[in-house]
Amino acid sequence: MAYKPQYGPGTSAVAENRRRQMNPGVQLEKVRDVTDEDIVLILGHRAPGSAYPTAHPPLAEQQEPDCPIRKIVTATDGAKAGDRVRYIQFTDSMFNAPSQPYQRTYTECYRFRGIDPGTLSGRQIVECRERDLEKYSKFLVETEMFDSARIGIRGATVHGHSLRLAEDGMMFDMLQRCLLGDDGIVRYVKNQIGEPLDRAVAVGKPMDEAWMKKHSTIFHSLVGSAYRDDAEYIEYIQRIHSLRTKYGFMPKE
Amino acid sequence: MAKIERAQKLFLKSLKEKFQGQDVEGETASYFTWGGMAQSPRKQEFIKAARGVEMDRGISMYDPARCHLGGIPLGQRQLMTYEVSQSGVYVEGDDLHFVNNSAMQQFWDDIRRTVIVGMDLAHQTLQKRLGKEVTPETINEYLHILNHAMPGAAVVQEHMVETHPGLVDDCYVKVFTGDDELADDIEPQFLINIEKLFPADQAATLKAATGKSMYQAIHIPTIVSRTCDGGTTSRWSAMQIGMSFIGAYRMCAGEAAVADLSYAAKHAGVVQMASHLPARRARGPNEPGGIKFGLFSDIIQANRKYPKDPARASLEVVGSGVMLFDQIWLGSYMSGGVGFTQYATAAYTDNILDEYTYYGMDYLKDKYGYDHRNPGAEKQVKPTQEIVNDLATEVNLNAMEQYEQYPTLMEDHFGGSQRAGVIAAACGLTCSIGTGNSNAGLNGWYLSMLMHKEGWSRLGFFGYDLQDQCGSANSLSVRPDEGLIGELRGPNYPNYAMNVGHQGEYAAIVGGAHYGRNDAFCYSPLVAITFADPSLKFDFAEPRREFAKGAIREFMPAGERSLIIPSR
Repeated sequence: MAYKPQYGPGTSAVAENRRRQMNPGVQLEKVRDVTDEDIVLILGHRAPGSAYPTAHPPLAEQQEPDCPIRKIVTATDGAKAGDRVRYIQFTDSMFNAPSQPYQRTYTECYRFRGIDPGTLSGRQIVECRERDLEKYSKFLVETEMFDSARIGIRGATVHGHSLRLAEDGMMFDMLQRCLLGDDGIVRYVKNQIGEPLDRAVAVGKPMDEAWMKKHSTIFHSLVGSAYRDDAEYIEYIQRIHSLRTKYGFMPKE
Repeated sequence: MAKIERAQKLFLKSLKEKFQGQDVEGETASYFTWGGMAQSPRKQEFIKAARGVEMDRGISMYDPARCHLGGIPLGQRQLMTYEVSQSGVYVEGDDLHFVNNSAMQQFWDDIRRTVIVGMDLAHQTLQKRLGKEVTPETINEYLHILNHAMPGAAVVQEHMVETHPGLVDDCYVKVFTGDDELADDIEPQFLINIEKLFPADQAATLKAATGKSMYQAIHIPTIVSRTCDGGTTSRWSAMQIGMSFIGAYRMCAGEAAVADLSYAAKHAGVVQMASHLPARRARGPNEPGGIKFGLFSDIIQANRKYPKDPARASLEVVGSGVMLFDQIWLGSYMSGGVGFTQYATAAYTDNILDEYTYYGMDYLKDKYGYDHRNPGAEKQVKPTQEIVNDLATEVNLNAMEQYEQYPTLMEDHFGGSQRAGVIAAACGLTCSIGTGNSNAGLNGWYLSMLMHKEGWSRLGFFGYDLQDQCGSANSLSVRPDEGLIGELRGPNYPNYAMNVGHQGEYAAIVGGAHYGRNDAFCYSPLVAITFADPSLKFDFAEPRREFAKGAIREFMPAGERSLIIPSR
């Protein structure tokens, strides 16, 4: 019988949102348009229009060893071309941002190939070949996984996820990489590492509170869904913990 | 699991002080209006001091305006002050870095420069091998000589260099025994009086455990252990012990029996505060990585002062443990740098962990009838998986909800590692204090970590992926390949060795198991007695208060060199 992922327990909207994001069979809602060039600018790894720097020759041009794994696993476009490995890193506010660090990692593992995610409390990084990265980044920014006010694209100096929001609703960013304009649109004026951009990059209006609450993937008893109320989720974690604890004594229940 | 009402909110006063003029329950704040580093008197002091240093030495130094993020200084948001928990003292974060805090330095100095050496072997050598008489009078004479010699004075030779007493004034030796009659014959200046220092029930247990043996609690000079290392302590001590025996008992300095005395003092009769570490983390004995958690809980004396409050006693272990294991051991010995202080201080500032832990105590009483104000082994809850799950789940959920309900509380602990350590510590302490089982406490810690991670989809830094997501499998059930009771674990236990925000809390969880049982000691009665000594520079019954004194520059340390340097 083929394995069928369940993506996680829970009866709450948070649990359902988490499953939706992870499940590659679900087409996530596209809520904004950002051009390929805009993505390249925010990432800050290469100048728009410039060639992709390479770490090795294209696979087709180099002698590949006779390896059974290489025959099973198809290289990504970036790997085929010999691209460098570069990154995008997000900071997600705990005030109902639509994605959160581990959620991002799980989702990326289900939806993307050839990635190396890293998960911390205040940031989540994913590294991969550069042209793959640009494609994945576009998905991560354009879909319902992103909000322009409560998610930041930040290479360094990431504090903000746990802080109170600024009075204009933006998550704190010491470097002020993006600003909320008078027209209600958020624009990046610095790339993710904090270098000023030649032109501002618009990433759309912040979503409203109702949308944020509906799409949240974090439990929060003040501004969203209380963790305590999802009894199935709690019970599932207790069960995993208990089985792991007892495993050394009792391999079967 | 069911939420209980608790009105205290011990952290509220700190939040209101820290965030003056702001709604501590509000969800928004002002940014970029705080004046950068100008808002911090301590940072201003640093800048001024650096200018003086630069003028003096002609080499550039502290220059945040240029060097921090290419010209964007710290302080674009509010630079918070911190209350050292249950001290009422507010300090700047910088004051809690061990370089800036003499009490923190002395805390570690006092541990590193301590060894305990039994006297029985030496007395047997003197009596049985040499036929000499050992009496209370000879012991007192020996102690006089030893307190002359231990700081670095000559005993036998007629032309020797010696150390300046003013530089080694913190060095001395006292003795203790469980034999009341013998104790009565020891000069009070040399005796650690168990009867007077401990509550009666603890004293009785400690005396019974010590028996008729006599031990020397030895503290070599701070300045020596600082110049050398922890491995020096037993060597320095053994040399002076040997010479003092020679002097006191009129021995020949070269006779073979001296080797027996030396071997007893250096090896057979010595109790180190920490075992040496393997080559990959090579350190000698008496360095932080080798301190067993049970032994560390005996070093901290809060259970002697607060025997009816195992939560308070445990919280003092947390505070001192994170300072030593996170700030000094992992943060400096193993890693280098200054960042670990920000992690560690979360566990002993602003009464946040205190609040979460006392919530656990209230829950224990409310649901299981265990009153932490009246601890005792016979009153404790059975450490079943179901009860551990229930306790840890409720304490964990409450802590997460507090962070959510008070956004300034979340901002106070702005890093996930801070929150993870603090929440899990409250869960672990509740389980260990309530059950009297250190492994049940560790198991509660690990459930908290899993639950925290799933609830907020984040935990701490990368390191939390290592031990905290496999810890369920090496706690409560003790497997032969990985299991060890908490008392015998330490900073170098597999998986524990590299992660900030854990080791001090683990030590407290171990201690809590015994404080909750009203035990007199956790691991070693000898260590518990040694650090009860009021002559020590650092008061181990109140480590957090001492750290606060250090932060406001009211703590007087040892090992100062002002006697031998130009006056300023």
